[in-house]
Amino acid sequence: MKRIVVILALLAACADPQGETPAGTLTVLQEQQAAWVRNFNPLLTTGGARWPTTSGIYEPLLVYNRAAGESVPWLATSWTWTEPALRLRFDVRPGVTWSDGAPLTAADVAFTFDVLRRFPALDGAGAWSFLAGVTAVDEHTVEFAFSRPYSPGLSLVGGQAIVPKHVWEGVADPVSFTNPDPVGTGPFTEIRRFDAQVWELGKNPRYWQPGVPKVDTLRFPAVASNDQALLALVRGEVDWAGSFVPAIERTYVDRDPAHFNYWFPAVGDTVFLYPQNATPPLDDARVREAISLAIDRKRLVRVAMHDYAKPSHPTALSDGYRAWRRDDLAPDGGWVRYDPAAAAAGLDAAGWTLGPDGRRRNAAGDALSLPILCPAGWSDWVRAAQIIARDLDAIGVDARVEGLDFSAWFDRVSRGDFALALGWSVSGPTPYAFYRSLLGSDTVKPVGTAAATNWHRHGSPAADALLAAFEATVDPAEQRRLSDALQAAFVEEAPAIPLFPTPAWGEFSTQRFEGFPDAETPYATLSPNAVPDVLLVLTQLHPRDDLQAGSR
Amino acid sequence: MSGLLRRMGLYALAAWFALTLNFLLPRMMPGDPAQALFARFQGRLEPAALEALTVTLGVSTAPLGEQYLTYLGQLVRGELGISLVYFPSPVSEVIAGGLGWTMFLAGGALVVAFTLGSVLGAVAAWRRGGWLDTVAPPLLSFLGAFPYFWLAMAAVWLLGFQLGWFPVRHAYGPEVQPGFTLAFAASAVRHALLPGATMVLASLGGWVLTMRNAMMGVLDDEPIRFAQARGLPPARVFFHYGVRNALLPSLTSFGMAFGFVLSGALLTEIVFAYPGQGYLLLQAVRGQDYPLLQGLFLTITLAVLAANALVDVVVVLLDPRTRG
Amino acid sequence: MSATSASAVNAAAPGRRRDLRSTLGVVIVAGFALVALVGPLLVGDPTAYVGAPLEPPSAAHWFGTTGQGQDVLAQTVVGARTTLLVGAIVGFLVVLVGAVVGATAAFFGGVVDAVLSLVVNVSLVMPGLPLIVVIAAFLPPGPVTMAVVLALTGWPWHARVVRAQVASLRRRDFVAAATVSGEPAWRIVVVELLPNLAALLGSSFIGATLYAVGAQVGLEFLGLGDLNAVTWGTNLYWATNDSALLTGSWWTFVPTGLGVATLGFGLALLGFALDERANPRLAASTGAGPGPQPTPVRRRALG
Repeated sequence: MKRIVVILALLAACADPQGETPAGTLTVLQEQQAAWVRNFNPLLTTGGARWPTTSGIYEPLLVYNRAAGESVPWLATSWTWTEPALRLRFDVRPGVTWSDGAPLTAADVAFTFDVLRRFPALDGAGAWSFLAGVTAVDEHTVEFAFSRPYSPGLSLVGGQAIVPKHVWEGVADPVSFTNPDPVGTGPFTEIRRFDAQVWELGKNPRYWQPGVPKVDTLRFPAVASNDQALLALVRGEVDWAGSFVPAIERTYVDRDPAHFNYWFPAVGDTVFLYPQNATPPLDDARVREAISLAIDRKRLVRVAMHDYAKPSHPTALSDGYRAWRRDDLAPDGGWVRYDPAAAAAGLDAAGWTLGPDGRRRNAAGDALSLPILCPAGWSDWVRAAQIIARDLDAIGVDARVEGLDFSAWFDRVSRGDFALALGWSVSGPTPYAFYRSLLGSDTVKPVGTAAATNWHRHGSPAADALLAAFEATVDPAEQRRLSDALQAAFVEEAPAIPLFPTPAWGEFSTQRFEGFPDAETPYATLSPNAVPDVLLVLTQLHPRDDLQAGSR
Repeated sequence: MSGLLRRMGLYALAAWFALTLNFLLPRMMPGDPAQALFARFQGRLEPAALEALTVTLGVSTAPLGEQYLTYLGQLVRGELGISLVYFPSPVSEVIAGGLGWTMFLAGGALVVAFTLGSVLGAVAAWRRGGWLDTVAPPLLSFLGAFPYFWLAMAAVWLLGFQLGWFPVRHAYGPEVQPGFTLAFAASAVRHALLPGATMVLASLGGWVLTMRNAMMGVLDDEPIRFAQARGLPPARVFFHYGVRNALLPSLTSFGMAFGFVLSGALLTEIVFAYPGQGYLLLQAVRGQDYPLLQGLFLTITLAVLAANALVDVVVVLLDPRTRG
Repeated sequence: MSATSASAVNAAAPGRRRDLRSTLGVVIVAGFALVALVGPLLVGDPTAYVGAPLEPPSAAHWFGTTGQGQDVLAQTVVGARTTLLVGAIVGFLVVLVGAVVGATAAFFGGVVDAVLSLVVNVSLVMPGLPLIVVIAAFLPPGPVTMAVVLALTGWPWHARVVRAQVASLRRRDFVAAATVSGEPAWRIVVVELLPNLAALLGSSFIGATLYAVGAQVGLEFLGLGDLNAVTWGTNLYWATNDSALLTGSWWTFVPTGLGVATLGFGLALLGFALDERANPRLAASTGAGPGPQPTPVRRRALG
């Protein structure tokens, strides 16, 4: 018995310490997984492919840099509309080889889109809802023919990850193919190691950008929870992460102020409180505006988002749309300012008056009761909903928070079966997709039928005309004019109540590596969650110059 | 022997019941996996893609009876289906790694707790009224009354983070590769120390008390007291008569405890990011991944049944009274 | 079971020490019950934002504030009420179902016994926590779901214990005498058997409550409870959400943990006392399973 104990103790003692990372290996925390599963399929966007498959192993034709607000040519050197909004031509970059040595040609691009056509499960973005055909005109030119005028198609087509024809034409079912040994054009393509707990991605020896990447290997430890992620961060075991960290100054930065940094720009999707426009009394814009005026957004972001976010702009556009956003519309905040008195006045005008019991009632005597639907597991949203409920209660509206399991919540929200609900919104390089989901009549489905967007069911004829015109034009100035009009329509009609834009979470440590973007050098979005922007960062990172010689 | 056969029959029946419950449970719950997948990607799926995915995921609209037979057939062939959360990896691949680690951690903790607890309990009963008898049970009960994950988190923070004495996550360090090497074994043991220790501490009280009370009962039996009065050496009384007889009721609990420990390991794995089945279960539940959920539930249940069956056999071998 | 051996076991825990344990148990549990009943009237609204986030304990807020600036003391006190209430209800339900099933099986014997025992044994080998997690995740969150889920998974253990006890009682002389003298079955059960089961049922109730409180807290910590409610479990959930340990905010985490542990300890002590009164020969144990249960020494009794 004693001998066993001694042996065990010896075993434990001679174990290696928690490993030292070799120089040139950059540790990233982007996914939270308990154990890694080997899957590098870039085409099935809903599948569990490892980050950075779509933007790191594989690459798209162009990369929209949301921090700079412009598109960067990537696998394509240039593009033009040969017929405005109807025919799009891309020039494929010459001299690019796949990681197995074969050259990249326009045939690969055409093939990729053909796979999407043959397997609709892969066409998550719905490219073939507006494409009529894709042809490789010659080795380095590919042409897209649209079935209808659709200028936003440029970003959808340009953002698609391109796969090699010579590898994938032999794959019988690309939907269930896990692609365990990927062949890509990206900066990192070599799988050095793959275990349940850690996997490593080595650099592509044939990458088309010279001298890049300067990082040799990306390492991904499996971390199951936010707490574990935080532990790893504060111990300096991670170089780059996209985690939500509470009280980040205290918990992270203070541990090593010289090296630990973060940047949370407000460029993510705007979180909305959606009122069900199809059901009275929320069909009345005055009621919707009153609800918006009653919410103290400053306290909301302070308590629910730890002050990382800021209150929404009246047009609901995040900082990612800075170039498009109209600052002349309602400089005082307009209908998203905090003004309970105006809220009360608005409700009075709409016929909901305050009774002696402090509850608002209409002429018929019904109380104004608007439950708020929220996914039960999303703690920051739950907190936000709780604050909104209290704020509405203060002006006499009965607002209970109903927390539902995610699927149940989504089911009700997509069918429109709610009074008020918290929800995300869509985004893109222009405000087109955003406002289409908020105002477009063609996205309105009857209450009871599941809808992908426009859960609040608001259709605006004025906006419809603007959106159609937007689809048909490729002239930037014209698009700008249309976008201005859309913003005005949104503020006027108040279909959904914006709360705050979600920040893009990003942390980094300069103990070993440099070249990260931050608030002072915003060349791209820092957050590894922002794909395909990460390509811009991955090609800029390099080991610290003063550590280059010899050991770490 | 017939008693043992009856028990085996019971386990077979329980296994069938587990299979059937496993089949019914996800189908009785509200929600629909294709919708859940759709929801996870924030609705950015076009309807055509969603429809195609639904077909691929094999969400069946066949009558329940037909689905059940298909399910049984697949089980016999060892097909557990394709995971939704980890689509398109097969469930067996996703589970494979985790099961081994859960067994290692949970089984190891159980064995240590059982052994240590029985030793302490036996000594406490022998020296009745001594300090061990007075102090240990209440202290260990108090420790055992803490919420399980609370102890685990306190341990991670204090011993792992603040003091840095132990690794705080994973089953082995990043510098070793899985394989039959001493370095790997050593790393695995080192990483299991802290999670294992919290599990042992939380359950120790129970084993101490079981053993202590059983020992006290046995030691009071007339034949034992007679033998002691006749001058039988104390050590022989303690081991040969006391411990051997008192161990039997503890062993019965051991089998059942395995099931509980496996469940308890779920919380430990979440706190320690230990790559076992626990966290997989939580992800499967949150993602409404029916195939993965079924696979996990099945492996856990069968493991528990196997452990119980094994213990029953061992007890029969040890205790002649239960034969025949 | 001779008189001498029974007293020998009693001598194991000398009278005074045993009384001390029982008294301590009663005091602890009664104390928590009092806090749960009266406490919420004395503290403010636990969901109100009363101060800066993550303030350490001070004269203004004895237990400090949470990550949202809510009063931890108020949350702990109000949380005690919901947690204890659900715990006690589940405890009662579990013992009710378990006792009815167990007693019926043992009393009627034969086919009834065989069938019910089969159901109980199969239910016992199902792994509890995974089942609980799965069911709790799919039903709408709330105290009712919690109670249903915990009751469904907790009753088999008690059924088995009660069955064993009733089976042994049934063979006793006084029951045989009652049957022979023509007493109807129901009267035998209610008048002869139940009083003898009282202590066992009492200790089962304690054990089941202990299990319910622990399981509840565990589930809510995983986020599977009703996040809007203020309970001990959700308090711990929010505390971890605000990274209590890594921000060094021990006060958001420790009071609830200590509360659960102390309550559990008190219940365990009470359980020991009741166990020993039920049957001095029966061992009491706080097992790795759902609550302290007597483990009969003779394995054959489990049959």
